Amino acid sequence: MANDSTSTTSPSAAVSVSSQSESKQSAPRPRAPRAPRPNFKQIYRFPLPINVHPLPPLIPHNPLSIVSVLLSYLTYFIAPPHQEVYPAYFDADTSSVHVTDKKAIRALWEMGFFGKGTLSRSEPSWLGREKKRRGLLGTVASEDMTRQRRSERRELKLERARMERVAVEERLKAEAAARDAADVSVDHNTLSPSADGLTNGTDGTAPNTEKFSLRKAREARYLESRRLAAQDGEERGADPAGKRPVGGKTVRFSPVVQAKEIAPDSAVHLLDPIGDEPGPQEPPPLQDEEHLQLSNEEAFFLAYGLGTLDVYDGKRKTLLPASSLLPLFCQHSHFPPQDPSVDPKPDDPFLVSYAVYHHFRSLGWVVRSGVKFGVDYLLYNRGPVFSHAEFAVVVIPSYDHPYWSETEARRAQCDRNQSRSWWWLHCVNRVQAQVKKSLVICYVEVPPPGPCSAEEGSTSDIGDLLSRYSIREMVMRRWVPNRTRD
Amino acid sequence: MADTDEAAIHMPSNDSAHIDTDLSDETQDFRMLNHLTFLTDGSQGNLPKRGEKDFEPNPTLFQADILSASRQAMHNALAYPRLHHPRNQVIGIYAPDGPAPPSVAQAPKQMDTVPEDNDTQPQQPEDTTATAGDADAGPPKAAGTEMGVPAESCVYVTNPKGQYFKTIGRADRWNRVWLLPEEALYLLERGSLDIRWPISSTGCSGESETADSGIPMSLQAAYACFLGHGGLNMERFSVYTGLRRLGYTLVRAPGWYDDADEGDCSAEDAQTQSRQGPGLAGVFGRFMQWLSDSPSCPVAGPLVGLGIHRSYDDIYRKLSIIPWHDPTAPRSESRPTSPPFRVVFHVYKPSTPFRKSAPPPADFRIAVVNARETAVPTLAQMSALLESTPLDPPKGVKMDRVLSLRLRQGYRSVILAVVDQGVVSYLRVADSAFGKEKLYKLQGPKPNQKRGPPRPRAKGR
Repeated sequence: MANDSTSTTSPSAAVSVSSQSESKQSAPRPRAPRAPRPNFKQIYRFPLPINVHPLPPLIPHNPLSIVSVLLSYLTYFIAPPHQEVYPAYFDADTSSVHVTDKKAIRALWEMGFFGKGTLSRSEPSWLGREKKRRGLLGTVASEDMTRQRRSERRELKLERARMERVAVEERLKAEAAARDAADVSVDHNTLSPSADGLTNGTDGTAPNTEKFSLRKAREARYLESRRLAAQDGEERGADPAGKRPVGGKTVRFSPVVQAKEIAPDSAVHLLDPIGDEPGPQEPPPLQDEEHLQLSNEEAFFLAYGLGTLDVYDGKRKTLLPASSLLPLFCQHSHFPPQDPSVDPKPDDPFLVSYAVYHHFRSLGWVVRSGVKFGVDYLLYNRGPVFSHAEFAVVVIPSYDHPYWSETEARRAQCDRNQSRSWWWLHCVNRVQAQVKKSLVICYVEVPPPGPCSAEEGSTSDIGDLLSRYSIREMVMRRWVPNRTRD
Repeated sequence: MADTDEAAIHMPSNDSAHIDTDLSDETQDFRMLNHLTFLTDGSQGNLPKRGEKDFEPNPTLFQADILSASRQAMHNALAYPRLHHPRNQVIGIYAPDGPAPPSVAQAPKQMDTVPEDNDTQPQQPEDTTATAGDADAGPPKAAGTEMGVPAESCVYVTNPKGQYFKTIGRADRWNRVWLLPEEALYLLERGSLDIRWPISSTGCSGESETADSGIPMSLQAAYACFLGHGGLNMERFSVYTGLRRLGYTLVRAPGWYDDADEGDCSAEDAQTQSRQGPGLAGVFGRFMQWLSDSPSCPVAGPLVGLGIHRSYDDIYRKLSIIPWHDPTAPRSESRPTSPPFRVVFHVYKPSTPFRKSAPPPADFRIAVVNARETAVPTLAQMSALLESTPLDPPKGVKMDRVLSLRLRQGYRSVILAVVDQGVVSYLRVADSAFGKEKLYKLQGPKPNQKRGPPRPRAKGR
């Protein structure tokens, strides 16, 4: 519903805009058939950028199966399968990890949905969109599909609003006619609906309660256009506002909606290639200007967890091993980056958020940033192309260990880090409810600085360090007593 | 008579249409009040549906008429006289000193087992011989328990009538029903109870036939007397009266009292935990676990590495190095809950059959916190609160099939009522162990499995 159109409207301007655009409207445009989706199941069949080589099934009573197992062992022994290692580099200025290799970009996106195209919403699709814009390609990028869907939806809303306005106008006309008749016959009571509204209230609402569907909106628009076409000849020169109601009020038409009424046409233009206009005679060969950007957690997971990513430094010379990546990312989890000489604390933001990232990845979830929804992570089952994220994760550190409450300063610091207000929580919770996700509060138990870290640098054994964090998830949602009464 | 509207609420609604709509969230079209049939006959017991509202004013007469009709309907409904028949009047007497046996003047009437020694309303009567059997009603605290009523009770009713006393109050041996402060206040607020000052407070000693002085207590006086009495504060009362009006039954939980311990659920935790059995199977299981657990990850190197992997399950198993909390695991020691974050009410749905003498397991457990004085609970507070609730693992056909339902249900759950100056916001917190649901195992290749129709799209990815 157009709930948002509550702002006050300046009637005359609104009316003139709407009448102009109305005359522009033509007969209902048939909806273009949606292009068939690519086979997502096939493209995204690998959950992680690692190849697996399953053994043929071993059936004890079938000697042939043993042979085939042995054979597969033999082939792997003779020609071990090659595992891709993808290159990336760390850019210290932007504190981010970039992948520029084409093959690596595709692989990291298709196997596990890692990273984001720098010029795209998520999947690196800039090249495809650019080609399409220049008319070189027939396929549709996901951004284009979204845009098209949005413009369709907007059109529907406008039609619905127009339909409602028509209904109001007709009612006004009928009332005016009835008033004239009543002046003659001096019989007011017959048309006053207040009487029947009181006696049988069901009838009072009847004409108003019917829902406006897309079909009805289309019909209304068709009728409207025909009516306008019929009137066009006679009222060409007439003032367009002349035939409006004297009150000048429109229903559900705030200036925002009015101004957008011409948008459907412009949206269609957007979809058409703008590059139709004669540009340079011979367009230069199109280069992919886009690269994949990995978040630091993703990069560390790929490098340390899976070992399929080689992260080089900014000059792309030296390979950074996982043991030096960890302090690097910890430094860059602050702004400005911390001094390299400072040892990362156990509650370093990177360590806490990486523990959560690794935990959910190791369970098989596809974890992506949730900043658009005001949370830390979104959890996808299989991946964003298959379904919407069902869970939204906020991370709250927890300082339960006695070490953290030893001194007064430490306690105050911990309180500051783990305390959240109820207003913040409700805000996050309501946003998640609006987008139909469940809010997961993920508490991370922060360990005290370990003895091993004091001796030989905290990152000597990353696995040991990470296994000292512990994670507990709680799903929170609003409880509405009205709905659980049954 | 005046209770019929409440009766309609108490009845479980069989119309699912208006369960989805949160009545409190929207302005209402009051013409629906015209359909309230109880104004004319009290036999029908379902609530009317609401009309549709316009979002903006338009100049039609039609809309103006609807508005005035709606207004008129509301006035009609409000103007309906609510009558309190003297026959149904329930009179309670305020007992500022807590539960006490009736005074001697009254005693001979009902005396059959009462000893004669309590002539002056003693605070702590000495006769422990006649202790009521159901001492678990309230905490074992003070004087009142010996009479079988909670010690915080402060109003008694000698003529309990009406449906409220099915779920409210506690009877003592003298056939008087003792009300807790929140119960008395709730009944008083909705006009179902008339509270009188006792003679001891007013000082006007007429013929001391009863303790009733005949002077009614005002609502203001009741608030002044009852709030702050026995742990009742404004937040708890807002929650109590709000849920009560919706038809729920609420009783105080042990956590109401700051010093009570509430370790009533550790027993069932222990038995649900299935350990690896002894014998050959157990040895084999432990061996297999050792095989899969054997840590082979290099110190700083990749956990998975570039070797030959047989399946993604193996990879995920190697990746799982971060410990997570298992809600079904038995806890060695349960930490005590800290006062604001404790279960203070057990809540029963209107449809749950409730008996005062033997309350069933609660449908919901509610902790009441003040939004301005507390922050979002820390892990320690939250886990202590959740551990004080019984283990309730997700079960049912639908739960078994749908992963997200299982996760949302959780293994334990508690409801937090966050009260900000009278506005109550309820949050359900569930202890959901994501670690127990290995998503990768569910995602594996499922041959020949047809996918269902696409789900409705949410907003945004």
